[in-house]
Amino acid sequence: MKKRIVITGLGTLNSIANNVADFARVLQEGVCGIGAIDLFDTAGFRSQTGGQIKNFIARDYIPRDFSIKRMSRADMLSFAATLEALTDAGIYPLPEELKEEMGVVIGGGAGGLLEAEIFYGDLLKNNGKNAKFSKLSSLFCSSSADRIASTLGLAGPKSTFMTACSGGATALGYARDLILNGHASIMIAGGVEPMCRTTYAAFNALKSVDPETCRPFDKNRAGLSLGEAAAIMVLEELDAALSRGAKIYGEILGYGVTCDSFHMTAPDEKAFGAVRSMQAALKDSGLSIDDIDYINAHGTATPVNDVTETKAIKEIFGKRAYSIPVSSTKSMHAHTLGAAGALEGIVSVLALQHGFIPPTINYRDSDPQCDLDYVTSGSRKANLRTVLSNSFAFGGNNTTVIFGKYTGKGAVHE
Amino acid sequence: MNKEQQTDNARRVVVTGIGMVTPLGIGKEEFGRGLFSGKTAIAEIKSFDTASFSSHMGAEVTNFNPRDFISVKNIRRMDKTSLITAATARMALEDAGVEVTSENRDRIGIILGTAFGATDVTVQFADTLLTEGPSSVNPILVPNIVMNAPAGHTSIELGFRGVNTTVTHFAVSAETAIAYATAEIRRGTADFILAGGVDILSKFYYESLTKFHALSPQNGGQEICRPFDIDRNGMIAGEGCGIICLESMESAIARGCKPYCEIKGVGMGSSPAKPTEWPKNTDGIKRTLGRALKNAGVTTTDIQTVFAAANGSKVLDAVEAEAYAEIFAGSENKPLITALKGATGESFSGGGIRACALTLSMEKNTLSPVVGLTNPLPPLAFVAGKNKKLEINNAALAGISFGGTYAYLIFGK
Repeated sequence: MKKRIVITGLGTLNSIANNVADFARVLQEGVCGIGAIDLFDTAGFRSQTGGQIKNFIARDYIPRDFSIKRMSRADMLSFAATLEALTDAGIYPLPEELKEEMGVVIGGGAGGLLEAEIFYGDLLKNNGKNAKFSKLSSLFCSSSADRIASTLGLAGPKSTFMTACSGGATALGYARDLILNGHASIMIAGGVEPMCRTTYAAFNALKSVDPETCRPFDKNRAGLSLGEAAAIMVLEELDAALSRGAKIYGEILGYGVTCDSFHMTAPDEKAFGAVRSMQAALKDSGLSIDDIDYINAHGTATPVNDVTETKAIKEIFGKRAYSIPVSSTKSMHAHTLGAAGALEGIVSVLALQHGFIPPTINYRDSDPQCDLDYVTSGSRKANLRTVLSNSFAFGGNNTTVIFGKYTGKGAVHE
Repeated sequence: MNKEQQTDNARRVVVTGIGMVTPLGIGKEEFGRGLFSGKTAIAEIKSFDTASFSSHMGAEVTNFNPRDFISVKNIRRMDKTSLITAATARMALEDAGVEVTSENRDRIGIILGTAFGATDVTVQFADTLLTEGPSSVNPILVPNIVMNAPAGHTSIELGFRGVNTTVTHFAVSAETAIAYATAEIRRGTADFILAGGVDILSKFYYESLTKFHALSPQNGGQEICRPFDIDRNGMIAGEGCGIICLESMESAIARGCKPYCEIKGVGMGSSPAKPTEWPKNTDGIKRTLGRALKNAGVTTTDIQTVFAAANGSKVLDAVEAEAYAEIFAGSENKPLITALKGATGESFSGGGIRACALTLSMEKNTLSPVVGLTNPLPPLAFVAGKNKKLEINNAALAGISFGGTYAYLIFGK
């Protein structure tokens, strides 16, 4: 029988919550985390807002036993979320015997760019007299996984996925496979994305940001809102989780990865890539369209994404598309790019565990081209069996992950 | 063929195509000639001015003309990293004899490793942003800043739409990509996956390496890359792209294609190290190579050669040599160790290029010498001075990175 891989721990920091318990609560309340940002000066940009993490003081989350010297914001956020997830999974402090076959896979984004920008600014000034190249030691995205593994003494596989906005989702799928294929027993998997000037400037230059707050699926949607997050899951084999008496949030039932091969920054309007990504995940999970209870959409709120994704959902689910709730939680926590797939994975798992469908907020006017049930008037109670979560990216990279509720022995419900 | 064999063939992953744009040569004929010539591609850097830096040598890709490989329509949208990736991918696919059609395009994909991505474009973008402000940045640059741009451009240029992923983990980026691709072929999510790595030299990136004191000459002596040499004094930076085409044995048999070799197993692991420092002990190497051997179902005695990660660094080469001495201590037939970076430089995602070199070496039963090695670290047996004829049935490709990350691949005939 095929091994089953389950989720036994969660950790997150994002613009609406600095831990998982708060996140579960505010997702149901429909809170918006998009507002003014103070990580850098936004003067001169098309947009001045974003989903910045509030009140992040690293030492509130990372005990003094661990050095945070030279860690970037991304490193600190992902390490803090990892500690929360391990604690949640009941394996922190980490027992020595678990470290040998425990690895980490992260979906990365800007890495240490926020800090590198300050360095680079110094380099351009006064012939670079005050620029210290050592500041670049955490510049690259693989640094976050290195910090987690080295600080905790892990000996398992380590990898960083860089497929822009689908990286966090692909990381979850790959981590599942590493356990399935016997390369690891426990995986720390997720994504991290810090806000920084370069990313902010890039999306502003492409005019893909809404100058106000993003409105997924709304007729007058004008682009995305950029955000930041760390989102980490602890994955392990079902039998191992059961035998150590772990609480089980849910299961990764399947995932699919495809490519548009169409355009670097625009989705294929015929939605082939998105359709095939969802189909691949359904096939991998062995589920049919009737088994899907809720779709956590990519739903960036760019004019083209939302209509394309809607089209893709209708293509796959046919008439049933109209009876499946579809929501974009980016309306609350903004688009967290490299972390998005993992963060929305946590949203999916919390929805399964707590029995609710998170809403699409900021929605006002309906778009005839976006005519599905987007859950626009607050969250709903619902006993969900499965959630399908989409992540589509620049480069035409599409990933879909399907999560399932664990209902067997050992499951913990409220 | 019985059912068991069929299942076995569906799970066996073989290499049926190779492509490369490297300092040693472009395409397998030129690269093969360069590889077995025993010469180095390392020379004074010509593409940017190194006068103010502490190092001046590098292994650059020369004579690369994108028009030989890529449609004019797409060339103007692509940066250097994407151009050499798409060209390399095309060569690998053509070498495998695979034509992309509307029937097979959803079953062809790419999994690419890159350690640093398009540092040239990112710096150009950041430069404008920080000196002239947000309104002056060029939106045309944006699609090429993201690390998945080369794989994205390649899929557009070649027209395939299957699994498409970019991984990064410094010096094991390409090995990780190949390991992931191997798993995906086994999982049956694609019929053909192009896997390998790409990295390029850029001025800012090179300058950063000099500031981290990573490059030769660390002792102020001659600027030269000497893997596994007692007198080595640092690495020399290189660039390039190497990609292999993977498919199942079943698929290769069905289309009458004779594979170069098989990827028998992979191992991945970690050991504590600072993000910019090489691991200081042999734990990670021993653990990870052990996992790869086990995954491949072979033992140390079955391995005829190791394509080492050594790049002339004081720490890396010593730790890697010590690890092999320990691992193969009890083995009857000690493997010959070879290392490519004296000829190609260190491009971090060079595991793709080294996988191509390994493939050609296995095909020709010939190992190329470690260029730059004159005074070897004891007690290993290295390929030194000239090519060595050797029947290679199983070979290990080493991926070791600063930051304490490891990936080993076991190739079999």
